[in-house]
Amino acid sequence: MKLTLVSRSGREIVKGGIQLSDSATVADLQEAIYKRIKKHPSRQRLTLPVQPGSKERPVVLNYKKSLNDYTSGNSETLTLVFKDLGPQVSYRTLFFFEYLGPLLLYPVFYYLPVYQYFGYKGERVIQPVQTYALYYWCFHYAKRILETFFVHRFSHATSPLSNVFRNCAYYWCFGSYIAYYVNHPIIYPVSDLQMKIGFGFGILCQVSNFYCHIILRNLRGPAGEGGYQIPRGFLFNIVTCANYTTEIYQWLGFNIATQTIAGYLFLAVATFIMTNWALAKHRRLKKLFDGKEGRPRYPRRWVILPPFL
Amino acid sequence: MATLFSPLRRLYLTLYNFTVLFGWLQVLYLVLKTLKELGHEHVYTAAEKPLLYAQTAAALEILHGLVGLVRSPITATLPQIGSRLFLVWGILWSFPETRTHLLVSSLLISWSITEIIRYSFFGFKEAFGSAPSWLLWLRYSTFLILYPTGISSEVGLIYIALPFIKASEKYCIRMPNTWNSSFDYFYAAILVLGIYVPGSPHMYKYMLVQRKKALSKPKSE
Repeated sequence: MKLTLVSRSGREIVKGGIQLSDSATVADLQEAIYKRIKKHPSRQRLTLPVQPGSKERPVVLNYKKSLNDYTSGNSETLTLVFKDLGPQVSYRTLFFFEYLGPLLLYPVFYYLPVYQYFGYKGERVIQPVQTYALYYWCFHYAKRILETFFVHRFSHATSPLSNVFRNCAYYWCFGSYIAYYVNHPIIYPVSDLQMKIGFGFGILCQVSNFYCHIILRNLRGPAGEGGYQIPRGFLFNIVTCANYTTEIYQWLGFNIATQTIAGYLFLAVATFIMTNWALAKHRRLKKLFDGKEGRPRYPRRWVILPPFL
Repeated sequence: MATLFSPLRRLYLTLYNFTVLFGWLQVLYLVLKTLKELGHEHVYTAAEKPLLYAQTAAALEILHGLVGLVRSPITATLPQIGSRLFLVWGILWSFPETRTHLLVSSLLISWSITEIIRYSFFGFKEAFGSAPSWLLWLRYSTFLILYPTGISSEVGLIYIALPFIKASEKYCIRMPNTWNSSFDYFYAAILVLGIYVPGSPHMYKYMLVQRKKALSKPKSE
C-alpha cells in the first residue's frame, strides 16, 4: 500500500510517500514515519483528509487499527494529513511533577524559618492545627503520587510537554500560597471541635476517594485497554464522577479545619475545573450508552455535586 | 427575536459608542489645552471627570461581550479594560502624588487618540453598517505607535506609585484575622507589573494579527 502524507496546508511531509504491506497497522505506519522524519509516534496526529470548507471534524486514526480500515474499497493508495503535536509526555510523568511540588514545598513553610523574611521576627509557636494540617496535606499528595504509579491505569494518550509547565505553575504556586497562610506564625485557629470535624470529614473523603480510584482502575485492563465503561458500585451508584466529588469534599474538610481564603480560593478553582471535566464525561457516557441496539442505557445519576448538579 | 432586538441592539450600541467617544474627545481637548496653558502638572485635574466617566463606561464592554451583544472575546477585553481601570482608579485616583508627572500627559494622549478612533469606528459601524476605509486603517494602524507609548506610560506610572503605595498601606488587609488571610496592595501592584512583561507583547501580537485580518481583506464583506 502506498501512503502519502501531507500537512494541513497540503505540503508533502515525507518525500515520495511510504510503501507498506497491505496488512500494516496504523502503529506500523507511525513507526515508519518515525524512521523517516524522526518524530516520535506519540507526537504524530494522523487524520483522514476532509473536504475544504467542510466544518466536520476530521477522523483521527487509531494506532491499534489496520490501515485497511481507513481505505475506501480495496484502494492501493491512501492520503493522510499529518500534524506534529510537539513533544509529548505520559500522564504519569505529568501527574508526578504536578504533585511533587506541593508535597515538597508545603513542609518548607512548616519546618524552615521562612517567616522572618516576611517581617515576622521572634519565637514561632506552632499550633496543633498546623501540625495536623501538615500531616493531612502530605498524606494527600503522597497518596496522589502513589496512586499515579500503582493505581491509575492510563490510556495510550499523552499530554503536550507545555502542559507540564502550566500545570506545575498552578499546583506549585497555589500550594505555596496556601502553605504560607496555614503555617503562619500569627494564625487564628478555629475551635477544637471545628478542626476535628474538618479533618475527620476530610480523611473520610480521602479514604472514599481512594476506594473510588480502585473501582475506576478495575474498569480497565492492565495496559489501559477497555475504553469507556459505566462505573458502578459504592458512590458511583449515585454520582458519575464520585472520584471528583470526594476530592472536592476532602478539600472542603481541610478548609473547614484551617480556614484560609487561599484554601477556599483553591477549592473554588478546583471545583470549577473538575465540574467541566465531569460534565464532559457525563455527556460522553450518556451518548455512548444510549440504550439503543443492545447497548446498555446509562442510569440516572448526579454529575458531580449532589444534590446540586 | 433577532428581528425585534437587532434595531434596539444597534441603537443602544450606537448611543453607547458615541457617548463614550464624546467623553474621550473631552479628555483629549482638556489635556491639550491644559498642557499648552498651564503645564503638565495640571493635566489630570483638568481631565479627571470625563476620564473617570469614559474609562469606567468601558467596563460595559466586558458585559457586552459576555451577553453576546458584540463578538469581542472576554480574553481580549478583560485584560485591556482591567489594566486601564487599575491605572485610573487604582493608581491615579488613589495616589494623587502620581498625578503631576509628565507621564500622565503621554498616557492620556495615547489613550484618548486610540479611543477616539476606536469608538468612532464602532459607532460608525453600528450606525451606518460600515465605517470609512480611512477610519478602518487608523483603527488598525495607530496602535503600532500608541500601544508602546501608552503601555510604557502605564508601567512608568505604576512604578512611580510604588513607594507611595508602600508607605500609605492603603487597601491592605493584615493578619491576624479569623479568615487567616492578608492582602498587600504593594505586592499586588508588583504582580501587575510582572503581568505586563508577557502581557504587553502578547496583546501587541494579537493586534498585529487583527490588523492583518482587517486590512488584507477587500472592502466587500
